[in-house]
Amino acid sequence: MEAIARLTSELIDPNSTDVLAAGKNAAAAASAGYAYGLAAIGPGIGIGYLVGKSVEAMARQPEAAGMVRTTMFLGIAFTEALALIGFVVFILLKFA
Amino acid sequence: MPTVIVTQSSGHVVQVRLVAGVTTETTSAKAAVKAAPNPIAPETKEIAWAAGSFIVLLVVMRYFLFPKLKKGMDDRYASVRSDSEGADRVRADANADVAEYEKALAAVRAEAAGRVDAARQTVDNERNAQLAQVNGRIAAARADADQKNAAAREAAQGDVASAVATVASRVAEIALGKAPDASVVSAAVASAMEGSRS
Amino acid sequence: MIALEFPEINSILRWKDLFPTFNKIALIAVLAAVISITIFMLALRQDHRQAPKGIRNLAEVIVEFIEDGVVMQTMGKEGLPWTPFLMTMFLFIYLCNVPGIIPFFQMPATARMAVPLFLALMVWVIYNVVGIKHQGVLGYFKSTLFPPGVPKALYILVTPIEFISAIIVRPFSLAVRLFANMMAGHILLVTFALLSEALFQAKDKILIPVGILPFFMLIFLTSFEVLVAFLQAYIFAMLTAVYIGGAAHPEH
Repeated sequence: MEAIARLTSELIDPNSTDVLAAGKNAAAAASAGYAYGLAAIGPGIGIGYLVGKSVEAMARQPEAAGMVRTTMFLGIAFTEALALIGFVVFILLKFA
Repeated sequence: MPTVIVTQSSGHVVQVRLVAGVTTETTSAKAAVKAAPNPIAPETKEIAWAAGSFIVLLVVMRYFLFPKLKKGMDDRYASVRSDSEGADRVRADANADVAEYEKALAAVRAEAAGRVDAARQTVDNERNAQLAQVNGRIAAARADADQKNAAAREAAQGDVASAVATVASRVAEIALGKAPDASVVSAAVASAMEGSRS
Repeated sequence: MIALEFPEINSILRWKDLFPTFNKIALIAVLAAVISITIFMLALRQDHRQAPKGIRNLAEVIVEFIEDGVVMQTMGKEGLPWTPFLMTMFLFIYLCNVPGIIPFFQMPATARMAVPLFLALMVWVIYNVVGIKHQGVLGYFKSTLFPPGVPKALYILVTPIEFISAIIVRPFSLAVRLFANMMAGHILLVTFALLSEALFQAKDKILIPVGILPFFMLIFLTSFEVLVAFLQAYIFAMLTAVYIGGAAHPEH
């Protein structure tokens, strides 16, 4: 990003950088929404599948429910990280 | 007069350029205002405060508070455990006593049952012996009577046979004029008696 | 209609210094430490032979939760010496998360990258040190980068993945998970609070009852954040335990 900014600022008349920055901001704001939306798809499916299977396991073996729940939370944490990275990218694109 | 314009982004120098005029100064100043610090970037002072308080908390917990609390918990658990073990022991003793009593009871019961059985056995034996004796006496009396009977019948038969033989020999003597052979007469009488009896 | 403008993001995340270098985040972090220490000090003043009640009960429940729910589930018996560390971590994170829903604080300290980043880097250093200590430098890198039971040809593929996973992704995802969860919750709360405020103060009188809807959503999200604050602290402590346990005993 910074490299592109430097390149463009050297190539283009300095008076027009404001317009360029505005265009970049608009593009970033638009892509921020896509970034988060796309990042949420996979983890959404994954967490749904994971929790569904865990409930199935708990219903089959209620005596193992504690262990299944612990493992489920760990699995959710790992899966959720992907969506959260998407959210961070969203914040970075939108506000940075 | 050339001016140097430095644009900063989150504290780092991003670009430095030489500009001929002073016209861009206002716009770049605006840009510098706009380039607010990144909301995600960590701040050194926050890291320092968080790290400081965490490390203080960790040290205090690890070396003072936690061991003391844990020791108190372990002590209490140990006392509870020893109490419950004592209760268990008392219960085990009581159970052993009960088992011993039941064993003794069973032994006594077995002995009593044995004695009753023995007494019954004795009575049975005596009864059987008496029965056998009486039966033996009855059998002897019956055998005696039977013998006497048989002897009387034999005697009676002998009498009858001799009487018949006498009569027959007399009849034959009268009819033939001479006395028949005694053995022939007795054999004929015997065969006739055999035939009549059968 | 109403004109609703979302505030500049930094105005809801960054705070003015109360005195030099000491801002709200630092205040929350210091308070978290002070509150934890106070709870345990008060708990220790009770007679330990009696059945625990009140604040001592709370402290013992926390200790047993960490022992049974975190250490025993992930590291087993040999992980018990890590209980105070994991408990400190859990308490600190929880008490940094929970101000996000406490009135007048309204800001989880973990919604700034500083706190999770520090914690994640510390965990990273600790599990690497533990791994090297237990298995030696070569043994640790061998068991991390060349996991046993993989066909030799696949090491070309597996080793770089394992390296990236163990050295880069783990601390990064650990920090980002906590940070992004709390920041997302914070931004959601801000959004719905602003929306209901704007609707309640709308010039158009028809819009005022509509403000109930975002207000209910705000209440629901607040109670959801209670759960998230606990869950994130639990997951952070749990993953720390998993990483340390995995570095100490790679065969599990």
